Amino acid sequence: MRGYLAFVRGAIMVGVVYRLGFLFTILGNIIYMIIAYFLWRSIYAGREILNGLTFDQALLYIALGSTIFILLKTYTDWGMAQEIRDGTISVYLTKPIDYQLYNLFTTIGFASTSILTVSLPTVIMLIFVFRIHFAIGAGYLFFPVSLLLAFIINFNMDYAVGLSAFYTESIWGISTTKEIIVSVLSGALLPLQFFPAAIQQILMVLPFQAMFFTPLMMVTKPDQEVGVFLQMLAVQAAWAAVTYIASRLLYSQAIKVLRVAGG
Amino acid sequence: MTLIHIQDLSKHFRILNRHEGVKGAVRDLFSGDYRTVKAVDGISFDIEPGEIVGYIGPNGAGKSTTIKMMTGILKPSAGLLQVNGLVPYDNRMRQAMIMGVVFGQRTQLWWDLPVIESFKILKEIYKVEQKMFDEHLGMFNELVGLKALYSQQVRTLSLGQRMLCDITASFLHNPQVVFLDEPTIGLDVSIKAKIRSLILELNRTRNTTIILTTHDLGDVEALCRRIIIIDKGKTLYDGDIKKVNALFGAYRTLKLQLRDFTDATLAALQERLTVRFGTGHGITIAQTEDFWTDVTIDQARTALADVLGFVMSNFTVTDVRIVEITMENVVRKVYDGALQ
Repeated sequence: MRGYLAFVRGAIMVGVVYRLGFLFTILGNIIYMIIAYFLWRSIYAGREILNGLTFDQALLYIALGSTIFILLKTYTDWGMAQEIRDGTISVYLTKPIDYQLYNLFTTIGFASTSILTVSLPTVIMLIFVFRIHFAIGAGYLFFPVSLLLAFIINFNMDYAVGLSAFYTESIWGISTTKEIIVSVLSGALLPLQFFPAAIQQILMVLPFQAMFFTPLMMVTKPDQEVGVFLQMLAVQAAWAAVTYIASRLLYSQAIKVLRVAGG
Repeated sequence: MTLIHIQDLSKHFRILNRHEGVKGAVRDLFSGDYRTVKAVDGISFDIEPGEIVGYIGPNGAGKSTTIKMMTGILKPSAGLLQVNGLVPYDNRMRQAMIMGVVFGQRTQLWWDLPVIESFKILKEIYKVEQKMFDEHLGMFNELVGLKALYSQQVRTLSLGQRMLCDITASFLHNPQVVFLDEPTIGLDVSIKAKIRSLILELNRTRNTTIILTTHDLGDVEALCRRIIIIDKGKTLYDGDIKKVNALFGAYRTLKLQLRDFTDATLAALQERLTVRFGTGHGITIAQTEDFWTDVTIDQARTALADVLGFVMSNFTVTDVRIVEITMENVVRKVYDGALQ
């Protein structure tokens, strides 16, 4: 375990090593926030409530949604595909490390830098610039756990897409398709309340809502019963387990392609 | 106890026959047209602890494939392979603890981080004690003066500096066996010498077994007591380097730039060398495409200096170079039965 924590440390250092890039990430997010604010201002145009969400709740949802999106957007699949294609994966296979855990912890490291560059400035802006009204409730307490579970589900999917490079050598198509599916069906692009009721029901039984919608609900509607939150966490945990096992199985199949057919 | 035991080891790849052009590429999408490539085809050898073995052969001979099987990356198609009594691909994580690997074309260091950070990450992965870590780096610093590089980003290192760091990294956990796959590729003479003395010193002080693949016969001469030559997946020679050394050590190629680069000059050169040195002179002549005339001399039979003096005084020579025999020539001579 100590070994894997070294990857987190390493990835954080890589994340902040290029100062200018670091700065522009912060700046880019601030600009996005300002645009989102005026866009949703005009969507509401004087109305109090749309699809059961107040303007404050919708902005909170969109702004936090985008920070989570950036937090989860770690390009693990692209990095893996690169390593698999150019054979760098051989270097990792000669080390006493598990390739999935190595990637998970490296990804956690990269994501932690974006907490600093994106999540923190967003929250500060929401509170002090846009002066959003925050409801009080237990949801905030469950949010960190929910976010971690969302992160793991997302990682497992990225990892599985990355593994497909063993078969296809190019993951551009698969990765872009996955990204579109995730951003629409997870509620990252638009709150799920904005979808027709029938589609909402379908979306709730898919894993994607557990990646964005669930953690976002905990902060946009934090004043629900504790039991509701626990149920949400249970669903997330189940998806995390299912995707973890599925991606493990995929690895044990995919690695055979390398080991049998050559690197 | 034998450290590495290999018996009738084979690795066959199934490769799709690709066709030319757009039409061919589309056809390949649905093609079931495979051919089998025997990258490694029934090799056997044993390696004892503390040996430095040169594992050599021309491009595509199967060297890297064997290394990848020994390190547990590839699964053999047939045959027996044990490292320290265990099968590498079944015990990859455990085996990795006793192995160090350097792929000359790749780095195990973190590209964007200072060198020392990569060492620290590896220290955690291999669970190296702080005391041993410090001792090890101290020793490397004494040998090759690495300390100045610690704070540099890996991507800013020169190829030679990076290789020194990569070799350091592969020895950090004091492995029983280190695989060096082309460690001196693309390096200049002085850094090559540095790397060679580093490897020798590590082998001497720690009794680390070293398996070295290389294209550079200089590496082999400087480091190995035993060499294994393979080509097309089969072992051509396995034994003492002295025998081979006598073979390629004796041959030198004299490259001449003659003013008249014509067939007539070549014929004249051939004839006059035969007249001067007799028929069993061990000299072969060939013209290269870039207008050099190569005179390969077996120094056991004829002195290079004599040939050079004779040519210089009888022909108009504008430039001269002396080169050592290449890997390809050694393999060709082994094929021709030179070691029987």
